[in-house]
Amino acid sequence: MFTILLTIASHTFREAIRKKILHVLIGLGILIMAVVSIVPTADGPDARIKIMLVVFFQVVVVLCMVGIILLSATSLPHEIEDRTIYGILSKPISRLKVIAGKILGFTLVSAFVLVILSFLNIVAVLRITTQLPGKCQDILKARNECKVSEFSIQGKAHHISEGIVWIEGGRTGIAVWNFSDVYKKPGSKFSLEAEFHVKIESSGDFINTIPLAVRIENAVSGQGKTEVLSGKADEPFNVKIDPDIVQDNSAITITVFPVHRTDYIGVTPGDVRVFSVQKGFVSNYTKAVFITFLKFFLIVVIAVMGSTYLSAPVNILSSLIVFLCGHVLDFIKDFSFLIQNHDLHGHSSQAVSREPNIFLIYLDSAMEKVLEWFSVILPDFKRYDSLQFLLKGINIPLETVEISLGYTALYAGICLIISSILFKKREFF
Amino acid sequence: MDNLAVRTEGLTKIYRDFWRRKSTLALTNLNLSIERGEIFGLLGPNGSGKTTTVKLLLGLLFPTSGKSWLLGYPSSDLKIKSKIGFLPEESYLYKFLNAEEILDFYGKLFGIPRKERRGRIDKLIYDVGLWPHRKRPLSQYSKGMLRRIGLAQSMINNPELILLDEPTSGLDPIGSYEIKNLILEFKKQGKTVVLSSHLLADVQNICNRIAILSKGILQVTGSVQELLSQKDVIQFLVRNLSLNDIQAVENLIKNKNGSVLSIGHPSSTLEELFVKTIQNQS
Ligand SMILES: Nc1ncnc2c1ncn2[C@@H]1O[C@H](COP(=O)(O)OP(=O)(O)O)[C@@H](O)[C@H]1O
Ligand SMILES: [Mg+2]
Repeated sequence: MFTILLTIASHTFREAIRKKILHVLIGLGILIMAVVSIVPTADGPDARIKIMLVVFFQVVVVLCMVGIILLSATSLPHEIEDRTIYGILSKPISRLKVIAGKILGFTLVSAFVLVILSFLNIVAVLRITTQLPGKCQDILKARNECKVSEFSIQGKAHHISEGIVWIEGGRTGIAVWNFSDVYKKPGSKFSLEAEFHVKIESSGDFINTIPLAVRIENAVSGQGKTEVLSGKADEPFNVKIDPDIVQDNSAITITVFPVHRTDYIGVTPGDVRVFSVQKGFVSNYTKAVFITFLKFFLIVVIAVMGSTYLSAPVNILSSLIVFLCGHVLDFIKDFSFLIQNHDLHGHSSQAVSREPNIFLIYLDSAMEKVLEWFSVILPDFKRYDSLQFLLKGINIPLETVEISLGYTALYAGICLIISSILFKKREFF
Repeated sequence: MDNLAVRTEGLTKIYRDFWRRKSTLALTNLNLSIERGEIFGLLGPNGSGKTTTVKLLLGLLFPTSGKSWLLGYPSSDLKIKSKIGFLPEESYLYKFLNAEEILDFYGKLFGIPRKERRGRIDKLIYDVGLWPHRKRPLSQYSKGMLRRIGLAQSMINNPELILLDEPTSGLDPIGSYEIKNLILEFKKQGKTVVLSSHLLADVQNICNRIAILSKGILQVTGSVQELLSQKDVIQFLVRNLSLNDIQAVENLIKNKNGSVLSIGHPSSTLEELFVKTIQNQS
C-alpha cells in the first residue's frame, strides 16, 4: 500500500528532475543568496546576517513556494490533458492513492529544495558570523523567555494613559517586575539576560538618553546589585544577569526608575523580559525550516486539491489567490470587522439624517458574510512565520511547532477528503 | 456468467457538456458477452462508440445507465484491474522516461515484485522489437515505436484479459503484422483479447468473433466464419492443373447444372506480399 504511494511519489519527483524544474528552483535560490551575501549592507555588523535570514525566508522560500504551486497545481491537469492518467487509473489503485502519491511527491520535491537551500543558507550565515566581532554574535542565540509573574508600582504613579503607567524620576515611584521561575534547566550551560522596552520622556534637557537606575536582585534574599544605565528613547537594551543572584529559589525581582526628577518612564507588564540564553541557533533554525516545510506541505495539498477539479490555468490562479489571501487573513478579518462596525453606525445616529439605502446595506452584509467565511475557510499562513523568532533570537517553543503540526495535519486531512470526493466523481474523456 | 471475460448489460453512455445542454448519445443499450480465451473484434467506423465502450469497461467513464462485468466481477471493482491489460487509442505515455523505465513504473503500480518485473520487462521489450532502443527516452520514439511500447505496457501484469483500442493504428504493415502475431500468441496462452478497430483486414485474420457498432448501436455480433461464409458458394483451391483439365472441370460443373462464378489465380493480400518482400530482403 505504501509502496504504491512511493511509486507515484518518486515518479512525480523524477518528472520534476527530468523537466529541470528542481534545477531552476535551486539555481535561482543559490543565485539570490549569493547576491545577498556580497551586496553592501547598511549599518551594523549583524545587518548582513539579518538580511541573509530575511531574504532566505521572505524571498527565496516564497519564490520556491510559487514554483511548487506552479508545479503541483498543473501536474494532475496535465496528466488528464495528455491522458497519461489512463495508464495510472487502469491499474488496481484507488484514486485517493493517486492523489496522496502526488502530494507525497511534491512534498518530497519541496523538502529536497528546502533542505539544500536552507543548508547553504545556514552555512553561509555561520561562516559570516565567525568573521564578526564577538558582540554581534548575539543574533545566533536561541533564548527562552521566562514569563513575568507579577508587575507592580511602588510609591505613586504620575499618571496612566492608554494602559501605560508613567513614573516620575527620583524615587517617587518605582516599577517592579517579579519573575518566579527563572532557572528551568539546572546543569545546562546558559546565561540570563533582561531586555528593557520602557518608554522614556523628559521635561529637562532631553538629549535622547536618560539615566535609569536598574536593580536586579533575588526575590527572597534581596541579594543583588544596582546599576545606572542610559536608557534611549526608542531602543530596547539588554542587561546580563549574574547567575549567582538567581540561587535555588529561581525567583528574581527587577526594579527600575529614572534617576532624575525631570525624567519619566512609561511601563507596562511586558516591558521587561527575562531570557535564558542558549547557543542553540542551529537547532532553532532547524525548527524554523521545519515549520516552513509544513507550510510547503499545506500549499502542495491545496494546489493538488484544486487540480482534482480545475484545469491547469484556473488552478494556478486559484491556488495563488489562496496563497496570497492566506497571508493577509488578518487584513481580511479586520476588513469584515470594519464593515460590521460601519453597519452599526449606519443603523444608529447617522441613519436618521442619511437616506437609508437598502441596496448598500444588503451589499455590506453580504460582503461581510463573504469575508467572514473567507477568513474561516482559508488557510492561515501567518501561523508559519518563524523568521521573527530567528531575528529576535528567541527559541521557537516546542508548543509552537506542535500547534503548527496539528493545524497542518487537520487542514490537510480535510483537503484530502475533499480531493478524494472530487476526484472519485471525475470522468476522463 | 463466471466464465465470461466481458459482459455488458444495457450499457449506455450520453456525453454532456459542462452546462448539461448539448449531449451526444455515444453508446446505446449495449449487450455483449465475450467468452474467455477468444479474440473479440469490436468494429465500427470512427465515432461509433468503440473507445467509449472500452473506457466504460475500465471505469475511466461512468455509464449513464447499464452495468458491466470483467472476468465475473463488476468493472468498478478495483481488484479486477490487476488482471487486465489496456492499450489506449493513442500512446499516452510519459515522454521523459525510456522504455525500461516506463514498464518499470507500470509494473510497480501493479505491485509486481522486483525480480519478476525485471524479467518481464526485458522479455516484453525484446518481444515488441525495441531491444536496441530500450534506453532512449520516449520523446525520441516514432509513432510505431510508441505503439509497440504501449502494447508491451499492456502486458506487464501478464493479464488474463487485454483491451486493445485500435492496436495497429499508426503502424506500418510489418508492425501491424507483428502485432497480430503477438495477439495470436496471447490467444495460445489462453488469454482473452478484445480489440477495437476500423481496419477490417486486421480483424478478419485473427478474430474469432466480432461485433459491429454504428452510431453507438450494436448492429451485428457473431463468429467471423459464420458471418462471412457464403453458404451457397463453393470454392476449390487446386494446384498443378493444365489448361485442358480446367476446361474439362468447368464442363463437368456445367453438366451438373452448377454455374461457375469465376476462374482464376487466387490473389494473396497486399499485406502478405509486402511482408514477404520486406522479409526476403533482410
Ligand atoms: N468527451 C466527449 N464529449 C462529447 N462527445 C464525445 C466525447 N468523446 C466521444 N464523443 C462522441 O461519442 C461518440 C463515440 O466516440 P468514440 O467512442 O470515441 O468512437 P470510436 O472510438 O468508435 O471512434 C462520437 O460521436 C464522439 O463524437
Ligand atoms: Mg476510438
